[in-house]
Amino acid sequence: MFQAMGVHGPTLSPFASLVLDAALLGVAFWLLAKPTKRPVMDTLFLAALVLSVSLIRVVMQPLPNIQPVTVAALLVGAQLGARRGAAFAVLVAMISNFFMGDGWWTVFQAAGWASVAFAGSQLSLVTPSGLNLRRAIFASLAAAVWFDIIVSFSILDGTIGFVEFATYLLHGIPFDLLHMAGNFAFVVWMGSWFSNLLEEQPSLEEIEFAVVNGHGIDG
Amino acid sequence: MIQRLIAFLFLSIMLLPLVTADTVESSWNQENSRAWEYDFGAGYISTSPIFVDEKIIVRTSGHSEPSVTALELDGTLAWKYSNVHSKNNDMSPLLPVKSGEGACGAWPDLLLVGWTDGVINALHPSNGSVYWTAQTEVAGWGITGAASVSQDHVIYPTRRGIGQFCLADGSQDWWVETGLGWRNGVSIYGDSMYSGDELGTLWQVHANGNATALASFQGKIRHAPLLTSAGLLVHVQSPMDSTIFILDPESGQQRQQFLAGPSPALPSLQGQYVVVADSENLRMLSCNDTCSVESQIPFHTNGEIGWHHDGQIIAPSNTPDSNWGSFIFEDGQNLTFEFIDVGIYGYGTAAPLWFVSGGVNYTAFGNDQSVLHLYQLAQAEETELSKDFDWSTQGLIFAAYVFLGSSAIFVLNGNRDLFLRTSSLFTVLILLLIVPDVSQLWSQAVDQNLPASTTEVWNDEWPESWLGTQIVIFEFDGEEAAVGGLVGHENVYTLTRAAAEERNSSLTVEETSIGIYISSINGVQGDGWEYFVDGSKGRVSVDNVAVESTSIVRWTPV
Repeated sequence: MFQAMGVHGPTLSPFASLVLDAALLGVAFWLLAKPTKRPVMDTLFLAALVLSVSLIRVVMQPLPNIQPVTVAALLVGAQLGARRGAAFAVLVAMISNFFMGDGWWTVFQAAGWASVAFAGSQLSLVTPSGLNLRRAIFASLAAAVWFDIIVSFSILDGTIGFVEFATYLLHGIPFDLLHMAGNFAFVVWMGSWFSNLLEEQPSLEEIEFAVVNGHGIDG
Repeated sequence: MIQRLIAFLFLSIMLLPLVTADTVESSWNQENSRAWEYDFGAGYISTSPIFVDEKIIVRTSGHSEPSVTALELDGTLAWKYSNVHSKNNDMSPLLPVKSGEGACGAWPDLLLVGWTDGVINALHPSNGSVYWTAQTEVAGWGITGAASVSQDHVIYPTRRGIGQFCLADGSQDWWVETGLGWRNGVSIYGDSMYSGDELGTLWQVHANGNATALASFQGKIRHAPLLTSAGLLVHVQSPMDSTIFILDPESGQQRQQFLAGPSPALPSLQGQYVVVADSENLRMLSCNDTCSVESQIPFHTNGEIGWHHDGQIIAPSNTPDSNWGSFIFEDGQNLTFEFIDVGIYGYGTAAPLWFVSGGVNYTAFGNDQSVLHLYQLAQAEETELSKDFDWSTQGLIFAAYVFLGSSAIFVLNGNRDLFLRTSSLFTVLILLLIVPDVSQLWSQAVDQNLPASTTEVWNDEWPESWLGTQIVIFEFDGEEAAVGGLVGHENVYTLTRAAAEERNSSLTVEETSIGIYISSINGVQGDGWEYFVDGSKGRVSVDNVAVESTSIVRWTPV
């Protein structure tokens, strides 16, 4: 929301933007550059996931601070692991911002969602019986606040002190609540379905484990 | 048991009035239908229109051609008088005067107009021609307050004083210096005249032109004092709030005081009752030996308050996208309130005009949108469903009720999964409906409690007349263009808009769900614009950031 209100981070030249995008893309590929037994299927699946979530984000742009990507990153991290979750987050931030407005803030959005994906991978949100809904709800609420704080760092351009930054965060609290409410709705409506959808995909950790043990996970 | 309690809680919420329920057609809207609208093209209607000589007379200002325009009852133009030298917002109310004769001569029916360039025009209300003109002093601004008529003279508040002029020829009898004033209306009670200034001094001026400081307050007095049977009432504006004082009219001794909200409106007196208002509440005071607050209703209004002789009170809500508020004081005890939809929204400070012509009751409304809407009292069957019915908001409210009711049913059934789903959607919908308003109030509260740590420095090259006023600086290609002498603006948006119009710069504005975004200034868009209020970087939308009476706003391209 901040970019729509005239509050910006440092202005980037076209060359700097190009370098930034290239770096983000590099990070995404580096995160994905791990052995897999079925590279084509994995790539297609992740690409479809990234595109569909990016599209949903663009479509939902008119609703202030309703962020479907946060819950998606949380669950992708939980089901597919930290690496693919982070890569998913970076790619969604890049692609959706291509339509919504690219800039310095893309780095912070990518970092925010990547850290949410990492948290998702560590919180045992998925149990053998499926998604732990209660835990997922609390994680999604916390993720909303965490993401908004991370993104807020983008306004730091050397002219803003601690008090002003804290004031900026205070101003955003109503919209943080909206983000939390949106996440809550996404989790209870889509969480289990989305989690089951992802469950059919092996995590990179599972693939690595399978490779190390000399047999394919698909075998 | 817990399930039933939760269900009861949810069903109870359904009984609460929703914030946006104002879009339901009011009783006023059911009884009144719009006759016509007149679009002035540009400028603000800052004071109430008047009805004289079967014509509706409207003043518009804040643009390149400040004018007084007379419209026939069918909405056609009768005449127009312009004063292109009046550069600022004209908010001195139009003053009709009946023909008469006095010691200084005779005069016909007149329409008195005070301008911010210090000029007083006495116009013929029938055709707009000038009967006489007087020039008063200018200190950045000229006349901004309400004048009063005393026998064969009119008393006009000027920027730094008060002057008396003959109604017959406009000659000045006397002028006396008081204090720097703005919207400093003058009232006359007996042989005394009263007016306040920006330093909080209440002045008493005697018929011979001698002025004495009757009382002094911490704040600004921006209305004509009112004499009640309990004493002289002044509503003093402070940075964060305001105080209503009741004073002895001769000694200035304080008798009573009431704490009120920020940015007070112009109080209005009828009999023993006084309506006062501010950015938080509209209050009804009853004044006999003492004054007491009889009733109050949360409402945001900062300008004129219309009070019809039948008891109806109508005031513009001076907020973005706002409607007007209609109040009835029932049984001398309680105010009742409803929003009315007059088809023009947004900031406004002008009271409506009520008049009767040909046996038909009319009401005219105008605000900062530069459009006048005339309504006439009609039978209910003649009214139509408003074309501006907000289907999206109504749809959201309907959906919210459905989800709320469903949540209550599911919790009673013990279906936790469906309860979570429906209640989550209810929560999202309610937040979507209220967050824009909540965010605005929240931001104002944050700004008031956490003042800026930095300041904008006064530039010695600026004219002294800008001291104590609002200033806007635009940075174009590394050079600064400053506009000063602006007063009365309450947020960055209206202040910036006024400054842009002052220097004939265009402003491109985008309205978003979380406020107004200025995307280009004078055609310069670049990577966007950011603003600083008194040196503090703007963090939220421009219509959500309040400015002080001496704020300096700086716009710089990103």
